[in-house]
Amino acid sequence: MRKFLLPLLLLLFFILESIFVELMPPKVFGNEYILVPHFLIIAIILLTVYGPKNYGVLYGFLFGLWFDIVYTEIMGIYVCLFPLVAYICYKLMKVLQTNIVMVTFISILGVALVELGAYEMNVLIKRTGMTFATFSMDRLIPTLILNLIFIILTIYPFKKHFEKLAMSLDA
Amino acid sequence: MPQFFLNKRLIILLVSIIILVALIGFSLSGRSKLSWPEQFIKDTTGWVQTAVSRPTQYVANFFENLQDLQNTYTENKALKSRLDELARLESEVQLLKKDNNELREILDKKDALSAFEPKQATVIGRNPDKWTELLIINKGKSDGIKKNMPVITANGLIGKVKNSETFTSTVQLLSSMDPTNRISAEIQADGESVFGFIEGYDDEKGLLMMKRIPSDAKVKKEQTVISSGKGGVFPKGLLIGKVVEVEPAEYGLTQTAYIEPGANFDDIEHVMVAKRGSIQPDIKDMTDDKEEEL
Repeated sequence: MRKFLLPLLLLLFFILESIFVELMPPKVFGNEYILVPHFLIIAIILLTVYGPKNYGVLYGFLFGLWFDIVYTEIMGIYVCLFPLVAYICYKLMKVLQTNIVMVTFISILGVALVELGAYEMNVLIKRTGMTFATFSMDRLIPTLILNLIFIILTIYPFKKHFEKLAMSLDA
Repeated sequence: MPQFFLNKRLIILLVSIIILVALIGFSLSGRSKLSWPEQFIKDTTGWVQTAVSRPTQYVANFFENLQDLQNTYTENKALKSRLDELARLESEVQLLKKDNNELREILDKKDALSAFEPKQATVIGRNPDKWTELLIINKGKSDGIKKNMPVITANGLIGKVKNSETFTSTVQLLSSMDPTNRISAEIQADGESVFGFIEGYDDEKGLLMMKRIPSDAKVKKEQTVISSGKGGVFPKGLLIGKVVEVEPAEYGLTQTAYIEPGANFDDIEHVMVAKRGSIQPDIKDMTDDKEEEL
């Protein structure tokens, strides 16, 4: 049973992202801002930081592929970005210390990397005509604020859960 | 340089870049349908999404209803004033319908371009990365939904079916940037209708762009835009929106009209997939050389 807990948890955030976009009334935040939830990648980054070794990159790859197939229908964008960002965070964590403020900062950096990567890719394949200035003002900053709130709310339960998972695998 | 090739990380990086480019190329190659593993994964995820989205929608609706209750009084007043007008309009519609049917019978013309068969569906998911605007609905091939069918709400056209699996389908909204997202439309004017294509969406203004309108056509504000039914797939007469402004296109040979969509693209819960009633021309008859569908 415990084995399935982690995939189920990630699945929950996978679906939660879509529900969030569906139900979030745009009137509340104003029409000009685009808020993108990145709950899944936050969970994956925290899994890399606190969880067992290599789990983050592996789950990043699997859920990235799944995300691409189900939501974007363009395979290749998130399947590469998720594991890459997880790997970068893993490397950063080796240099930096694991206190909660530092991890919050690294998670938000990861979200920013995913957003920038997705933007560059979409510009390359001509799926968006957005200039970098409008992208950063209307999309990147509001998105980072939204996800920062999410990180602050969830980092502590995540830490507890993933550390327990790592312990149980070690034992 | 043997060390260079022995570097495991570098090789993994290079291989993944090759895979990335290959995958993106494969996805964008304009394939007519998804491969079966993709279809299978989408269908299975569809079950989970349905199971989760139903209860959340109930909860969301409950709060929406509470909000509605607050405005009931003012709304009721406004609605009452429109009721008298509606009764008159209804009798007029009845009369016109009857007239139309009789005239059709005289002409012996049975199927109209505007005939369509609506299929109800519920939105169970939406693409969270907002680069391509896609919806996932809970009806698929088993309900007769096929690629390129138009999708409407009560307020107007919202998009078309991009791909359909057995039990779910993906809907591409009009607001997503895709060069293949093109719909033959007409602006209803008093004299003659003006034809053009709905192509693209202006993100900053939040308006649809209708391009390739002849430069001598006189388009005014507040005129209604509907689908023309000339593309072969969409039925005629689906409401798209209203003209907000008109400006000459790049080289002055055509005009571009900005259209405020009738439907709200941000708040979609129930949709209808419109299956065209009249005969659909075979795609092979329409594409002789370079002409694309729609």
